[in-house]
Amino acid sequence: MKKALLVILTLIMAFGVFASDITAQSIASFDGKPIGVQTAVLYEELIMDKVPKTAFQYYTMPTDMIKALTSGKISAYLIEQVGFGVHKANHPELEVLDEIPGYISASMIIGNNEKQTTLLTQLDNFIALCEADGTSAYLYEYWIEDFDPINDTCDITGFTGENGTITVAVEGGYEPFSFVSNGKLAGYDVDFICRFCRAYGYTPVFHEIPFESIAPGVETGKYDIGMNIVVSEERNETGTLTNTYYTCPVVMVVLGEEFVDVGFFEGLANSFYKTFIRENRWKMFVEGAGVTILITLTAIVFGTLLGFGIFMLIRKGNKIGNKITDFFLWLIHGMPTVLLLMILYYIVFGKSRLSGMWVSAIGFALMFGCSVIDMLRVGYNAISRGQFEASTALGYSDTQRFFKVILPQAAQHFLPIFKNEVVTLIKETSVVGYIAVLDLTKISDLVRSRTYEAFFALMMTAIMYFVIETVLTYIVKRINIKIDPKRRSQAKILKGIKEWE
Amino acid sequence: MIEIKHLRKEFDDNTVPLKDVNLVINKGDVIAVIGPSGTGKSTLLRCINMLTEPTSGNIIVDGEDITERGCDLNEVRKKMGMVFQSFNLFGHLTVIENIMNPQITLLGKTRQAAYDRAMELLSSVGLSAKVFAYPDELSGGQQQRIAIARTLAMDPEIILFDEPTSALDPSMIGEVQSVIKLLAKTGRTMMIVTHEMDFARKVANRILFMDDGGIYEEGTPKQIFEHPQREKTRKFIQRLSSLSYRIQGIDFDVEAMNEELQGYGEKLLIESERLAKLSLALEEICINTIADYSEDPDIIATVEYAEKGDVLALHIKYKGKYFDVKGEMDSKLFASLLAESTTVYTESTVADDPEGYVNRIDMKFNWVEE
Repeated sequence: MKKALLVILTLIMAFGVFASDITAQSIASFDGKPIGVQTAVLYEELIMDKVPKTAFQYYTMPTDMIKALTSGKISAYLIEQVGFGVHKANHPELEVLDEIPGYISASMIIGNNEKQTTLLTQLDNFIALCEADGTSAYLYEYWIEDFDPINDTCDITGFTGENGTITVAVEGGYEPFSFVSNGKLAGYDVDFICRFCRAYGYTPVFHEIPFESIAPGVETGKYDIGMNIVVSEERNETGTLTNTYYTCPVVMVVLGEEFVDVGFFEGLANSFYKTFIRENRWKMFVEGAGVTILITLTAIVFGTLLGFGIFMLIRKGNKIGNKITDFFLWLIHGMPTVLLLMILYYIVFGKSRLSGMWVSAIGFALMFGCSVIDMLRVGYNAISRGQFEASTALGYSDTQRFFKVILPQAAQHFLPIFKNEVVTLIKETSVVGYIAVLDLTKISDLVRSRTYEAFFALMMTAIMYFVIETVLTYIVKRINIKIDPKRRSQAKILKGIKEWE
Repeated sequence: MIEIKHLRKEFDDNTVPLKDVNLVINKGDVIAVIGPSGTGKSTLLRCINMLTEPTSGNIIVDGEDITERGCDLNEVRKKMGMVFQSFNLFGHLTVIENIMNPQITLLGKTRQAAYDRAMELLSSVGLSAKVFAYPDELSGGQQQRIAIARTLAMDPEIILFDEPTSALDPSMIGEVQSVIKLLAKTGRTMMIVTHEMDFARKVANRILFMDDGGIYEEGTPKQIFEHPQREKTRKFIQRLSSLSYRIQGIDFDVEAMNEELQGYGEKLLIESERLAKLSLALEEICINTIADYSEDPDIIATVEYAEKGDVLALHIKYKGKYFDVKGEMDSKLFASLLAESTTVYTESTVADDPEGYVNRIDMKFNWVEE
């Protein structure tokens, strides 16, 4: 009895000591444990020498790091103190180590184009001006120290545009710097740029793209300004950076012991409200679905036309034509979709002002076109030589033979593949967020970055993808049945003919 | 009507099936092309409508050289029908459309006119009930009859048949051959590549025997089948009409022999009942009697069929001791076979056989339709 009591006592004591010690742990004590960090912010460089054995886990969105921490995938993660304020508000169980990993300074990166020199001078002047007149301090207090994620907003109007437009790349899902509030962009970065544009007579056009795409996108000249670039030596070698426009401490977040347990259903209802009702976020889902459908349909229509057109040119076995086609099939099919899109967006169309939406449509049309060529080849080769010979011997011309004898039979071979390719295409479009397109997946990311809730956003997105897939495959299936020669009625076969008894 | 001059065809693998072919096809000719496999029979046929492009030479159709560049081959092909070994009906179309559509597309006929013509032809090949069937729902024989109807619908000046019955089950060969025979009687110009000698002989008025990369011998069916003039033709005709086995020792594959015999019978269209009789006699005499009683049997059995007189004959020669087959045989089946009036049985001895066979048995199996 005494012994048992002693054990319990010891446990309680140990627990108490452990609990109070959570924030007192040193960073070095995390050596070897997985630590999360946001891709491309480079915070890991601040603590690398203290935790040489740690493998850093990279996450695109801060929300994902919270999920990883609470589910035990990582032991801690690094975030700016400002960002943590938002996290703490939504997840009271999070704690910050007393030891500060370091400070980060953020600057802006200026696009490699004709506006570069002017913009650099203007932005540096504006930063100096803000420091002098207290605007910087005001912004820091309003957005960072005193951040209210629901009610804080900024003025994104009042541009004269007399000196033209500038394109600005922001993360878009990154409170409190750039995020979508009531369907509009807001945040420190957005506020700052809007003030700059009003002062210098520009009209800003914002693009929401993942952090890791901001610097490369700006460096190719696709965007004029990229926001929130953490200053590092390597970046300074390639990019043209402004002076620092804010500095803030980076903290290391760990899991505390305090779990606030809201009732399950209450939590669910709350989560539902945040995901769909607040700020009419359901509208964003609808718009995202619209973009996904638009890209998919455009790619199907143009990809099919493209693939068919090329197939018609090479079907007779032109050697050079087939070699070239094979080369492009190899090139395009062999590349991860996201890479193809980024190459098109930043390199091929880097200098043009073609929107990410149209670049995506072009990219997917190319990919779908390649699939169509493959399908047609499969279908064409499945037709026996006899069908070619019989029609030739009867006197059918090449075109008559193709359209009246070969294609109707080949279609039955390749349409089932076509259906599968459509499904693949819809799923593949989910990567267009990388090139600033607000499709269904990207919208779900943006909403999750605001609500810090994954369930409804992910489920809703999955359901919408399923609905789109089901509708499109149903249409293809109907077409398949419609043009299946063996499903025609006898009346249709002999339409307009007086039949013999 | 069609004149072929110095036609030569070399394939990419350097085989030369046609070296120098010269041929004139006149209106109303029904030409059967026969010969061993790989002697360019089908190649010659396919060159005539340029499905296979000749290496050199000229093909003149109604005064126009169709091997010339710039010749509208599609127009020429409309005048030439072709029936394939593998039928090649359009798989996605019904029977009626297979016959109608080429008329509409190529001849510009109205749908009604095409339909009427198609129905007329369907009834002439005996398949009026299959209007809405798809090719894969039909037997090979039915498909080939439809293919012939499709060709006829184009009203061609000549029809080229490329082994029209080779892909058919033996039971369906007859129905297709009789359709072609009927056509031949209407005076249509036709050229038929075939391995069915009996059919070739009955349907054609000219026989081309092909070998050595060209037309080796040409003549009427009577000339070619009964009095072939040249060595290879003679050998070919001889080999076609006879079948030989040597039974030596006791390990002999009866199954294989029966199978070969069956194939021979099918090729020559010998009634299966008559063939069964021959097979029974062969087995009883050779296997169950001579080989059974002899210590070291050596027998040669030859089966022959003569179209003339419709006689199926079995000749057996064996070495060693004489057997009184007729007397020693205890098979009731064989006894009743001998008793039939259509069976002729004779025994004899051979005096100066070069290979040393001394005894001989000859049997003939006649046939009377019941």
